[in-house]
Amino acid sequence: MLRVIVQRLLLLPVLLLVFSILVFVLVQAPPGDFLTSYVSMLAASGSSVDMAQVEALKHQFGLDQPIHIQYVRWMESLLKGDLGLSLEYQRPNRELIGEFLLLTVLLALLSFIFTWMIAIPAGIYAATHPRSFLDYALAVLNYVGVATPNFLLALVLMWLAFSHFGISITGLFSPEYVQAPWSLERVVDLLKHIWLPMIILGIAGTARLTRIMRANLLDELNKPYVVTARAKGLSEWRLVLKYPVRIALNPLVSTIGWYLPQLFSGSLIVATVMNLPNIGPLLLRALVSQDMYLAGSILLIYCFLTIVGTLISDVLLAWADPRIRMEG
Amino acid sequence: MKGKRHRLVILTIAILALCAGTYAPTPTHALAQAPKYKEAPMLAELVKAGKLPPVGQRLPEDPLVVETFESIGQHGGMWRRGFLGPGDFNNYHRVVYDALVRYSPDGTKVDPKLASKVEPSKDFTSWTVILRKGAKWSDGTPFTADDIMFWYNDVLLNKDLTPAIPFWMRNKDGSTVVVEKINDNTVRWVYREPNTTFLMELANKDSGDRVYAVFLPSNYLKQFHVKYTDKAQLDRMAADAKFRTWVELFAARNHPPENPMRPTMAAWVPVTRVSDQMFILRRNPYFVGVDKAGNQLPYIDFIQFKFFTDAVSLNMAAIAGQLDLQERHISLANYPVFKEQEKKAGKYRIILWPTFGGTDASVSINQTFAKDPDLAKLFQNKDFRIAMSLAINRNEIKESAFLGLGEPRQPVAAPWHPYYPGDAYAKKYTEYRADEANRMLDRIGLDRKDAEGFRLFPGTTRRATIELSVVPAFGPWPDIAQLVAKDWERVGIRTIVQVRDRSLHFTMRQANDLQVEIWNQDTSGFPFTGVPKYDPRSLLYGTLTTGPLWKQWYDTGGREGVEPPAETKRIVELIDRGKTVGPRDQVRIAQEIFKIWVDNMYEIGIIGLTPMIQGVVVANVRMRNVPDKLGNDWPLRTPGNARPETFFFKK
Repeated sequence: MLRVIVQRLLLLPVLLLVFSILVFVLVQAPPGDFLTSYVSMLAASGSSVDMAQVEALKHQFGLDQPIHIQYVRWMESLLKGDLGLSLEYQRPNRELIGEFLLLTVLLALLSFIFTWMIAIPAGIYAATHPRSFLDYALAVLNYVGVATPNFLLALVLMWLAFSHFGISITGLFSPEYVQAPWSLERVVDLLKHIWLPMIILGIAGTARLTRIMRANLLDELNKPYVVTARAKGLSEWRLVLKYPVRIALNPLVSTIGWYLPQLFSGSLIVATVMNLPNIGPLLLRALVSQDMYLAGSILLIYCFLTIVGTLISDVLLAWADPRIRMEG
Repeated sequence: MKGKRHRLVILTIAILALCAGTYAPTPTHALAQAPKYKEAPMLAELVKAGKLPPVGQRLPEDPLVVETFESIGQHGGMWRRGFLGPGDFNNYHRVVYDALVRYSPDGTKVDPKLASKVEPSKDFTSWTVILRKGAKWSDGTPFTADDIMFWYNDVLLNKDLTPAIPFWMRNKDGSTVVVEKINDNTVRWVYREPNTTFLMELANKDSGDRVYAVFLPSNYLKQFHVKYTDKAQLDRMAADAKFRTWVELFAARNHPPENPMRPTMAAWVPVTRVSDQMFILRRNPYFVGVDKAGNQLPYIDFIQFKFFTDAVSLNMAAIAGQLDLQERHISLANYPVFKEQEKKAGKYRIILWPTFGGTDASVSINQTFAKDPDLAKLFQNKDFRIAMSLAINRNEIKESAFLGLGEPRQPVAAPWHPYYPGDAYAKKYTEYRADEANRMLDRIGLDRKDAEGFRLFPGTTRRATIELSVVPAFGPWPDIAQLVAKDWERVGIRTIVQVRDRSLHFTMRQANDLQVEIWNQDTSGFPFTGVPKYDPRSLLYGTLTTGPLWKQWYDTGGREGVEPPAETKRIVELIDRGKTVGPRDQVRIAQEIFKIWVDNMYEIGIIGLTPMIQGVVVANVRMRNVPDKLGNDWPLRTPGNARPETFFFKK
């Protein structure tokens, strides 16, 4: 096991190097560069830019250099553990990403906990009481949960809040706390706002997980080892929780790894609709404006998270399922 | 019941805001030490505590006296706006309009602001700018001629900071215009030939569009300039901030929305950055303006720009009444919803500021298109262009895409503008006459049609197919494009609408790859300054696709590109002459430019004078001194030309 982990960790820098080239090429692939998008953005908000000004901006943003030089520059700073400078924000990428990352992780973590706290008990109940009224009710709810896009749910809730209470529930903070330094009041304000996006982001996942849990557990419940244990007189609750549930969790655990990067990219539309200070909209914006250093840095972090996430799932899987541990 | 809950919510929000200390404490008593000028309550405390000199000492000897639109106002409050992130910095520039001189609210003349007077010599070859004596930057340091000379000597003439001298600072022979210091408050621009557009240019040198303003806080910025600071130390500073060169560092530190430390002369100064979630401005205690009663301006204490990830959520906040005065990013399509909520909720009123002239959707036809010789020949045929104009059913477009606002017109100045060339030109070829269009197309050789009724190129079996490129910016352009395509197909011209991303469209425009495009014509009030779309030399980068290769011809002195026709050369000649003659002749020249433009139909106007471009204004009912009528255009920095420092909240 340890050997696998070390191997993976050693491979990490090589993979990241390959990804960095790929990412840079992809971000640069659309026609034009940061300046074209910058100037077209200005033009689309009513300005007209003179050629001398474009020249000056080109020089100022370092875009008068060939692409490979721009990549090497980015690479140089990456090697120094620095993510470079965002062209649009004119601020170090690390500072920007850091600011957004904390809230993104917090929201992702909360919706993850919300999902698991509801999905697993619900799945267990549905599997142990198949064809009961509650099972059917949960099934209907699940189908609705999976079928409704998150962003639509967000829109409907926002509309309800506006039409009934005249308030718009967007963002994660009240205006007076957006820029405030961290304090107890700010945390309280955050908690007042974060529950709604947490539920919205969690709902589809909850529905999906409940179904998976139910199906897996149903498969296990009829297996001989369960029958044996029951015959030996183990109480029903202990029996179910101790063996079949653990095995049924297997597929869930193995997807935790994917969950990590998905948490960041998956919330993009919801975050945009609900105006959340999330990393998703930051990436979208960076891609649209071809702010290559910022987009590249975020994408590289995604790649990093995917690799690390897979590693975590492997470790967790080995811990949860003795059979896998043996093979290793 | 519902109304009660409503009020309760508002009350709670108001109390929360007060608790957070965003509003200034209620005024206690008037100040004793400066009887002539009155202080904002927010600053009175600081003065009492000895942290700020009294208002009389902060104002220049001859403060700017600003007329109020409705009445003398009251100090205090916070103006809530929305913005779309760091790329939206012009939102800031439009509000503060921090310039030496500025356009009048109606946009027809230029008034003094930071400069008390700007005087031309008799022959208009030199311009003397007189600054207000004793005026101070927002950090209290004096504002003098040296701040302009710093811009001229160390920024404009520095090759690293200004790789190419902007057009307005060049003489006809290409040499740089001379700027000289007369005394501490006086600076003179000396041109080789007469220049009558100086004031209009100066009114836009306010650091909008990231152009360096002509006056810079030299005391502050010297620490980032290689001439005044040790190179090694500067490199270290740049590296610490992740910049590669001192040029980048200097540019970023100079741009007020990116650097709250940089002193400004505007009525409000940033306290956070435009890259933050909440971009906040606070009143400038040293602002040079007062109202007629001697109250120091601005009235409003704070401006808060709230970040929205996209314009849709910004519109939603505006509909909910969470923005106090917002015209930027408000979509014309939401106008009916706003009108409905205006009555129902009663939180705001809706004002319309139609654009300053021109058209809000116009079709320009590439005169130098080279990829397809048949199409190129067609595009260069004036009768074809006229036929295409006659084939458009403008009233239908007006009703369906502009909600009935505006009027069918060609891209010329508005009727209330001095440059208006008259109805004969504003309305020329705008009638819907499909029959006449058909006849004209037959006459120019497109008389053979295929089985589906589409016209064929003369002597071929190839359909005359046009590609109409359009960008979803500003207004409902993609819808308009579809309507135009339908009208054109009705007269047998196959038209394919291509909705493109802005960057792609611009890249194609640059590469001479666009055939026909939809954009707007917003330069009709300013044919001589800025980047007029009538001028083939300023084509590309945010203008139109009328003749990309003409520009190349001018840029290379005729070696490359395509030589423009006589009419275009005449326009260039007229624009250059317009820069050197007095206002009365400028009117005549502007009208002649419009006449040539319309007669040749390089650009087909559709609908103009609508509030499409940042002209649907959502204004809090308590917000006063907001004019009902206003010139609306980027050179006017709307709403900056409305004198925002006089806006106030009625208590």
